[in-house]
Amino acid sequence: MDNISRRDFLKRTAVAAAITGGAVIGAGQRKTLAENPAAGEGLATLYDLTRCDGCKGLAEPQCVAACKLKNQDRYPEPIEDIPDYWPQKKHEDWSGKRDLTNRLTPYNWTFVQEVSVQKNGRTYNLSIPRRCMHCDNPPCAKMCPFGVMEKTKEGSVLIDHNFCMGGAKCKEVCPWGIPQRQAGVGIYLKVAPKLAGGGVMYKCDFCQDLISQGKEPACVSSCPKGAISFGPKAEMKAFARSLAETIQGYVYGDKENGGTSTFYVSPVSFKDIDSKLKEQGNGPRMHDAQNPLETLNGMGKAMLVAPVAGLVAAGIASYKTMKGEE
Amino acid sequence: MAERIIEKEKKVKRHSLSVIIVHWTVALSTFLLFFSGFGQMPIYRRYGLVNVPGFAWADNFVINSQIHYAAALVLIAAVVYHIVFHVSLKQFDIMPRKGDVKESLLIIKAMLGMGKEPPSDKYLAEQRLAYLFIALNLLVLIITGIIKVYKNFSLVDVNYTFVTWVTALHNIATFLLLFGIAAHLAAFIFKANRPLIRGMFTGKVDLEYVKHRHSIWYEKLLQTKKQDKSM
Repeated sequence: MDNISRRDFLKRTAVAAAITGGAVIGAGQRKTLAENPAAGEGLATLYDLTRCDGCKGLAEPQCVAACKLKNQDRYPEPIEDIPDYWPQKKHEDWSGKRDLTNRLTPYNWTFVQEVSVQKNGRTYNLSIPRRCMHCDNPPCAKMCPFGVMEKTKEGSVLIDHNFCMGGAKCKEVCPWGIPQRQAGVGIYLKVAPKLAGGGVMYKCDFCQDLISQGKEPACVSSCPKGAISFGPKAEMKAFARSLAETIQGYVYGDKENGGTSTFYVSPVSFKDIDSKLKEQGNGPRMHDAQNPLETLNGMGKAMLVAPVAGLVAAGIASYKTMKGEE
Repeated sequence: MAERIIEKEKKVKRHSLSVIIVHWTVALSTFLLFFSGFGQMPIYRRYGLVNVPGFAWADNFVINSQIHYAAALVLIAAVVYHIVFHVSLKQFDIMPRKGDVKESLLIIKAMLGMGKEPPSDKYLAEQRLAYLFIALNLLVLIITGIIKVYKNFSLVDVNYTFVTWVTALHNIATFLLLFGIAAHLAAFIFKANRPLIRGMFTGKVDLEYVKHRHSIWYEKLLQTKKQDKSM
């Protein structure tokens, strides 16, 4: 395979590593980065799609298996008699499908999509592990009506399962629809379970407990093909670009939704991959995702005008009143 | 001076045009903020508002956020205007005074037919208290809202715990304001308060109503009238 390994890349880009704060992969240094948010943009992963084969021949992809094993104690245990989302006659319950691994569910936080894409007369069979992209400016966390989602200094986006009401707004504003809801669990049961809330949202947390200690996420360390790299974000970004250049391929996750902590490098364009995903309709797409916060932030800047307008208008009005005019 | 007795019409000029415009601007923007604010939660689809003709967009979080931002811009402008305008003219009639809680109880008792109502100034004691309650909640909502807008920018790092508390405060103040506005509107259940409604549309209230209920204010208006004549 005309591919470079992460080790080769690191050797070749010692200068780049120096620029990124001497961030050569090493647990000790990674710990420093995790402890000091000012030291960098946090951590990131890179999926090399030329290496991932979806663990063909094995019962299930190893990243999926490792994720399930690592998080098994954190999966929801709903009450038996789950109330409907009144006045609707339905609720979201995945507890009977805990073994499902071919899509995201509250019990499966990563899965692998399979697509076949043609390029220059050659067929590329790609396996694409999917999970939360851990965006730089995550609309899910920023738009949570209860402010119970956090973007950590390590780069992960976390849901506080203790206070999530399960409205699923985060899933709706996520360009990839990642978070998944389980009804019959969570704080909403203690408030007004029939009238408000819908459960708790679940998704990949980037193995926050591990990465905050300078360790790798479970999916990274379990990959038998070395297809998932992990490290400081600047380094992963540089690696993704370098890898894409070497294979004359493409990078996804750098600009999408305003930037993420997850990079994909593919030998075929993500536009072509996305058309296939759209056609197949099996989960998150790989489209040119726009961050919904961008449209709001323009209005946010305009808000600075408001106090000035009020001040000027009041000045004129009070002057006129003092002069005896209405 | 906007306030004056208009003998010919048997009315009293109670509010200037400026006050009327600010009142209704705050009312309209606050209504839009309530609607779009509640629309930040997924209730309009769940409860079927999206099925009402003209409201198919109501479950769109981005549209609701855009309405929320636009209405907040208008509210902030109106609140800044209100504060600067009245402070520069030293108009503090609506600020609560010592003894207002006790006086409010007496007024409410009187409206229920128990006891005699104490004479009032331009505003009733409970109006002054309601103003403070609504104003404080609006200020909390504006300050927490500005923080929430600020944290939405990329490259901005606002402490998570702080954001959680700010969000909780914003949500609590929303419900308190809703209660305050409900109480403000419920005041008009009492017939005695209804002559004031006209005042917020036309700026004028009946002279007889002022003489009877706002006698302290009426005396002040008479004094002002005398002074104006002697000048």
